[in-house]
Amino acid sequence: MNDPAALSLAQAAQAVHAGKIAPHELLQACRKRIEQWQPRINAFVSLEEHPPHQKEGPLAGVPLAHKDMFYRAGKVSNCGSKILRGFVVRETSAALERLDSAGAIQLGTLNMSEFAYGPTGHNEHWGDCRNPWNPDHITGGSSSGSGAAVAARLVYGALGSDTGGSVRLPAAACGVSGLKTTWGRVSRHGAMPLSHSLDTIGPLARSAEDCALLLAAIAGHDPRDPVSSREPVEDYIEAIKRPTRGLRVALSSAWIERETEPEVAAAVLAATRAFQFRIEVEPPDFDTLSAQCLVVMQSEASAQHARWMRERPGDYSSAVRVRLEAGYAIPATTYLEVLRLRAAWLERFCSTTLADADLYLVPAISARIPTREQTGPRGGPDMPNLLASLTRLTRWVNYLGVPGLVIPCGFDSRGMPIGLQLVGRPFAEATLLAAGHAFQRETDWHQRVPA
Amino acid sequence: MTAAKQWSSEAIDVALEAQGIALAPKRAERLAAGQQSLLDASAADPLRPALEFDADPPGFMLALVRCKARSPSK
Repeated sequence: MNDPAALSLAQAAQAVHAGKIAPHELLQACRKRIEQWQPRINAFVSLEEHPPHQKEGPLAGVPLAHKDMFYRAGKVSNCGSKILRGFVVRETSAALERLDSAGAIQLGTLNMSEFAYGPTGHNEHWGDCRNPWNPDHITGGSSSGSGAAVAARLVYGALGSDTGGSVRLPAAACGVSGLKTTWGRVSRHGAMPLSHSLDTIGPLARSAEDCALLLAAIAGHDPRDPVSSREPVEDYIEAIKRPTRGLRVALSSAWIERETEPEVAAAVLAATRAFQFRIEVEPPDFDTLSAQCLVVMQSEASAQHARWMRERPGDYSSAVRVRLEAGYAIPATTYLEVLRLRAAWLERFCSTTLADADLYLVPAISARIPTREQTGPRGGPDMPNLLASLTRLTRWVNYLGVPGLVIPCGFDSRGMPIGLQLVGRPFAEATLLAAGHAFQRETDWHQRVPA
Repeated sequence: MTAAKQWSSEAIDVALEAQGIALAPKRAERLAAGQQSLLDASAADPLRPALEFDADPPGFMLALVRCKARSPSK
């Protein structure tokens, strides 16, 4: 076998199962890649191997690593922060428990935006995570290390969290596949909270098929998460094999051409041709939905951080402190009214945008991936607009609570990835993964690896 | 429909101070402008005028189930 690091997660798991490769060979291949890439991209925060609880299982022997906010009993979760640096946790997160039971190996913890509250991957406490396609560019955040590590083939998959785009932005910026799950589909027990009405957990991996394998391991009811859903979990691995020829894809081509950068629009619109049945629809009201998401996120994040904001505000980076300060200026009545509106918006999305379609297709990010300098502390006057453009097409999905899959669909003229986003009804992860898998059978964007 | 113009920099200072949050000098001015535009965008929500009296935040969990996926088209 050639370089085992080049295998997809599905191929690696199958090779271990068939006895064609030993787990230690996969580990060795990953370690070699980490040694090469870590100085360039700063994806890992810690390298500490956690062998699986059992040697059998669908992910037996497959090395993974996760955003540094998934707790493991007795181990440190820094959550990308100075405040929780060295924080030893008492309980293992539900998602890690389930991956352990599936036989996966955790290789370490991955860089992230401070307290998962930033869309770029900058981190002044742990160092910026850098994009493997070009280290001058952002990885996207907040699951920055997850996107970068998967793109550079340092691990076969990673967990991230998504409150306003934190799985999908790094997936898009780093050219990998990333799934934001339906709110309540994956237990958040033992994962650092940011905004309880919006927080979700999801996989980043090399393909939609790999995301399906990871989701199959982590999805399902957990009584320890009060909003965990009791909806039955589909067989995602079988689901991606479904015929998808009849899948109806809604999109808003004119809006994409008008509102996104030309290279992004061209790549995304070219990708839509892979779907036979396309329906033109009016776009959802992205800007209102995004504002409502921000009201909820700011209110809840600022409440979550209130004690530390009173007692040690100087221990936050200025960017995060500024975001947190904003939440204290939102009236409680506004916050609650926005939550009361949420069900009506979800029903409108499903009954209008998706009235005649199975999913809605839109770019993941409306602009090309900016540089770290453009979006960092020394960013120019355009920085607020650039930051707003990053999350314009992701936050609305969190407010609606629905699933969204980002997959790569091209590269811009500077060689940076472009991602498209498929958004479905609640609990339609199987449909999204099947559509993504079908697209990836016809294209090879997801197989490209940074040099 | 817009939100009441409640966020002057003085009002921000008072509101945050009441919650024990200290602001850097001049920060309140920028925060007031940013938050007023967010609150305006939120208040301009076109579904707001028709919001049912008995709609409550936990109702969203039921809406998720009501709106869940039908079988994808074959």
